[in-house]
Amino acid sequence: MTSTIIATEPAVDITKQSRARLAHRAGKFWRAGGPAVIFVAMFLVVAILTPAFLGGGGFTIVASSAAPILLVALGQALVLNIGSIDLSNASITLLGAILLALTLGPLGAVSPLVVLLMVTLFGAVNGVIVAFAQVPSFALTLGTFGIFQAAALVVSGATTVYVSQNAGLITPLYTSAVAGIPLTFVLGVVAAALAWFMLRFTRVGQGMTAIGKNESGAIFSAVRTRKLKIVAYSLSGFMAGLAGITIIAQAGSASSTGLGSDLLLPGIAAAIFGGTSISGGVTNPLNVIFGALTVALVPIATAVIGIAAQAQNLVYGIIIILIVALTLTRSRNAIIK
Amino acid sequence: MDITLKAEHDPMTTDTTAIRLHEETNSRRLRFRGKGEPLALIGALIVLISIFSILNPRFATLVNLQNILSQASLPLIIGVGATFVILIGSIDLSVEGVMGAAGVVFVLLSANSRGGHDLGIWAWVAAIAIGIALGAANGLILTRIKLPSFIVTFGMWFIGLGIATILYGTDALPSLTNDALTTWVSHIAFLFPNVVWLAAALLIVATLVLRFTIFGRATLAIGNNEEIARSNGMPVNKYKVVIFIIAGGMSALAGILAAMQLGAVSNNVGSGYLFITIPAVVIGGTALSGGKGGMLQTALGVLLLTVLNNGLVLAGVSPDYQSALSGAILVAAIVAAAWSQRGRLRIAK
Amino acid sequence: MTNHTVETATPTIRLVDVHKSFGSLTAVKAISLEIHRGEVVGLIGENGAGKSTLIKILTGIYQPDGGTIEVNGSEVKFRTPRDSVGAGIGVVHQEQSLFTNLTVAENIAMSNSSGSGTATRFGFLRWSNLYKSAEETLAIIGSKLNPKTRVGDLSFVDRQMVEIARAIRVRTSEGASPLVILDEPTSLLERGETQILEREIRKLKSFGSVIFVSHRLGEIMRICDRVIVMRNGEKVADRATSEVTEDELFKLMVGRESHSVVREHGALDRAETPALEVRSLSRKGHFSDLSLSVHPGRVTAILGTSGSGREEFCRAIFGAEKFDSGSLHINGVAAKNWRIHKAVKHGVAYVPSERKVEGMVGGFSAAENLTLVHPGTAAFGPFLRPWAQNKIAQGWFDTLDVRPNNVNQELDRFSGGNQQKVVLAKWLSNPNLRVLVLDHPLRGLDPGAAQTVNEQIKAACKNGTAVLLLADTLEEALEMGDDIVVMRDGVISGVYDVAIDDPSTLDLLEKMV
Repeated sequence: MTSTIIATEPAVDITKQSRARLAHRAGKFWRAGGPAVIFVAMFLVVAILTPAFLGGGGFTIVASSAAPILLVALGQALVLNIGSIDLSNASITLLGAILLALTLGPLGAVSPLVVLLMVTLFGAVNGVIVAFAQVPSFALTLGTFGIFQAAALVVSGATTVYVSQNAGLITPLYTSAVAGIPLTFVLGVVAAALAWFMLRFTRVGQGMTAIGKNESGAIFSAVRTRKLKIVAYSLSGFMAGLAGITIIAQAGSASSTGLGSDLLLPGIAAAIFGGTSISGGVTNPLNVIFGALTVALVPIATAVIGIAAQAQNLVYGIIIILIVALTLTRSRNAIIK
Repeated sequence: MDITLKAEHDPMTTDTTAIRLHEETNSRRLRFRGKGEPLALIGALIVLISIFSILNPRFATLVNLQNILSQASLPLIIGVGATFVILIGSIDLSVEGVMGAAGVVFVLLSANSRGGHDLGIWAWVAAIAIGIALGAANGLILTRIKLPSFIVTFGMWFIGLGIATILYGTDALPSLTNDALTTWVSHIAFLFPNVVWLAAALLIVATLVLRFTIFGRATLAIGNNEEIARSNGMPVNKYKVVIFIIAGGMSALAGILAAMQLGAVSNNVGSGYLFITIPAVVIGGTALSGGKGGMLQTALGVLLLTVLNNGLVLAGVSPDYQSALSGAILVAAIVAAAWSQRGRLRIAK
Repeated sequence: MTNHTVETATPTIRLVDVHKSFGSLTAVKAISLEIHRGEVVGLIGENGAGKSTLIKILTGIYQPDGGTIEVNGSEVKFRTPRDSVGAGIGVVHQEQSLFTNLTVAENIAMSNSSGSGTATRFGFLRWSNLYKSAEETLAIIGSKLNPKTRVGDLSFVDRQMVEIARAIRVRTSEGASPLVILDEPTSLLERGETQILEREIRKLKSFGSVIFVSHRLGEIMRICDRVIVMRNGEKVADRATSEVTEDELFKLMVGRESHSVVREHGALDRAETPALEVRSLSRKGHFSDLSLSVHPGRVTAILGTSGSGREEFCRAIFGAEKFDSGSLHINGVAAKNWRIHKAVKHGVAYVPSERKVEGMVGGFSAAENLTLVHPGTAAFGPFLRPWAQNKIAQGWFDTLDVRPNNVNQELDRFSGGNQQKVVLAKWLSNPNLRVLVLDHPLRGLDPGAAQTVNEQIKAACKNGTAVLLLADTLEEALEMGDDIVVMRDGVISGVYDVAIDDPSTLDLLEKMV
């Protein structure tokens, strides 16, 4: 009773196969280059609509406002990569900036190092609690967000703290530029390159990605999941501190409501625009660079093109959804929450 | 493979011994399951109330109770919607945007200082409708375009805020001119303000829906395991859209009530509510991963945070410290809840 | 056993030329089959033969690219699982698919797409009716579970009962003759439950038909009237079980003769340091006072029912779970503050039974998975060398005949058997492997892959690795084990040296229960 085998038409099969392969390759290219393409396209549209934008150092403006966003986003991307989230990193940035403004005068060149050490410790505290108390990171960092925010408010005395002296140690980061690109942004790009190298070519990075893709699988493969979580959060704190330094470089002062006080959402948006998955295991720090540039470009572009200031939020919201719809990697049967 | 047939033991009796052993250990845990967390919250609430009553005699008064409950009402209304959303494992970040859009629409279509039309009841309808529309958009983008709710509602936050900003325009702050509207919220009926009764009614309805309807049970099922829900033939996408519509509607209602409370509106009328509501839901014990929690837990979480804020103000603590204290309580609450379940293999995201 | 009257009646379900492909891979090629009321049809085939895809088509999870499906004579299209449930098709899944946060009663009612019936009024649930009807459904299969219990609090076996109750509930709600698909329902069940299930299947025959998917050919021969064999997405045979032998089925499935290798049991050199030595290891509520030692090159199989504590014991050896007292020595070195990374450093390996969740990182490529624990030359200090990684992986792929032969493909896109080969290779690539703990290594594997895995285990033994094996079946334990340890209720109830004591299956069973 063996049934006869009915051959399927080979012609159909081949076109189908090549189409599938083409789609696969296109998807791969888009995942690698999508964020850059989107930024360049948007930038070109703005440049064509308003040629004066390019002449007026448009890219420099975008890059300098992208620098703190990029640094915060890189930390966020590393945390998202392990399948967690850090809602506190922007408040760490602000606290770091305020601490830097307070200590730069008395401590001089040591001050940035001290501040970076402190913010890294703040990040590590998040990591230790997430790793050892095994609490959901969203809720935990929402809590520590409140704590760091209050700390920023109290430490600054709820006023603007100006750098009393030694400002010259930091400001060149903002005022000097390489080929029209401010050093603050170059700092972000270097950090992104290092993060990329870590994720692609070190066991620590591989372990982090393994946690994001399947934490149980990572545990049973002897990946030191707790240690790596603490490392990821510490790096998020460290990057947030670098962002704080760029803020002082730019503004020369810091306050709990001033420049950089609303970096959290742009930071998350930049990480996601850069192709980072909210559910973990997928990120490319190099693409986060373009994510940050895009996030910085949107408000500048709307203003330059002449869209009413009132419509900026609306445009921003629509663009967030559109860009993610374009860049998100989706598998057919995945559960989307 | 024929051993099973050769064996002369009755498999029923033999294997149930193992199961029964297992069940015994389970039932011991069971007795406290689901009760431990709410009991701890109620305990914490009682402790807080006692401390604050000692610190300031004005705390334990009827007027302050009315105060606390009306402060808790808006987060509770938003929390009802947020609980549905979180129970399916999603999140709704668009709260403040939806509140802004609905609040501005409501005030501009009611009798207000800028003039324009007074549509009466239709102002309510229009404002709720915009919340429902934004909620539906959230749900549809989530289910059709398959973007994570975190991102969709994140974008919708700005879209709602944008709609509010555009409608608000550049004119002077529009305030409500109809006193009946501005006083309704705080008008005291049977001991408590209207808004408290409204929030309580919504809470009860939501509790019943969760317990006694197919929709409610499906919400829990989807949160527990969406894949299974789908393969069981549940209309998961439909339910998700409905849940986001409920959340949008609740946020819109909160936006209207906030505008009525203030007697005026700006696009930022919802500012701060998201970061009260989500901690409250989480402190209540509803898991962000979905499938676990409920409306009454949310109510407890909201009450705890409101009592804390109110009590600290009355105790004379500087408002600068407040976000730190609510943050610390959130951290303490989730750590306490997770502590007993720690294990080498446990996954928490 | 397919008699004439059945053949002429309208089939419960008829598939004509159904095919389905994913990208370049054709999973199901032009399958035609009929299943009649009162029939139990076995569906067998190696992993990747297309069985799961076929079942997913029948349950509306996948839509076929072409061909027709008829239910009771009329053509249907299953666009969603809901359509399939509506047509009277119920499934007991290989991996349990219950809502752990809901009650038994709700889980049983769920299959009934709208959950309607007497359990609701005006869209509101009537809990008392829900409980009552669940109790009735459970009574049909002889289960006395409390329908108010949350499924998360049930044991694995009880959950399987709930699954079956749910699948047969399709009947009570739909009337007409239902089709129940049992997708490897026995692969995770212990001995006694398998028998209950077989009784159930015979009952199902009286009012419907059954598709029974299993890798255990003995079971298929015993339970089924007819058996359909699939290979490479095609139906290669459709025979009455009375006209075919187990060996023939094996050959049809795998495409080659079955050759079961009988292991020769080596003599034990007690003077040698045991690779694994456990002294009165205890963990409250799970196991107590366990002592055993495994010498290099020996296999100790541990038998026991689901509550015996053998799983927890094995995980404790790997450091995945803690133990309260007692001591553990690996190659003579005492285990202190035992954690997974320490166990791995001392040469302990663990192949978990939940392969997809614990055994691998599905999103990583096969090559990355293979070199994740013991990278060897694929790492230089803290740095990775991806090119070396691929070379190592390719070597293993050739040795183990992993298909498709693409080390860069993500591991979760391989079939179960090929995944297990990679998981095993991940641990075997440790040159200092001392103790290999295998938790149901053959679970869900097709016979071909199972053979490869067993051969690798034997090869590892030859190289001086000590193996601790939690076997699926008594035969597996007797075939692979040099020593057999039987556990019951957390303590050792029997120890046998297979070469000396030659225990019978009955001896072993007696100690288990």
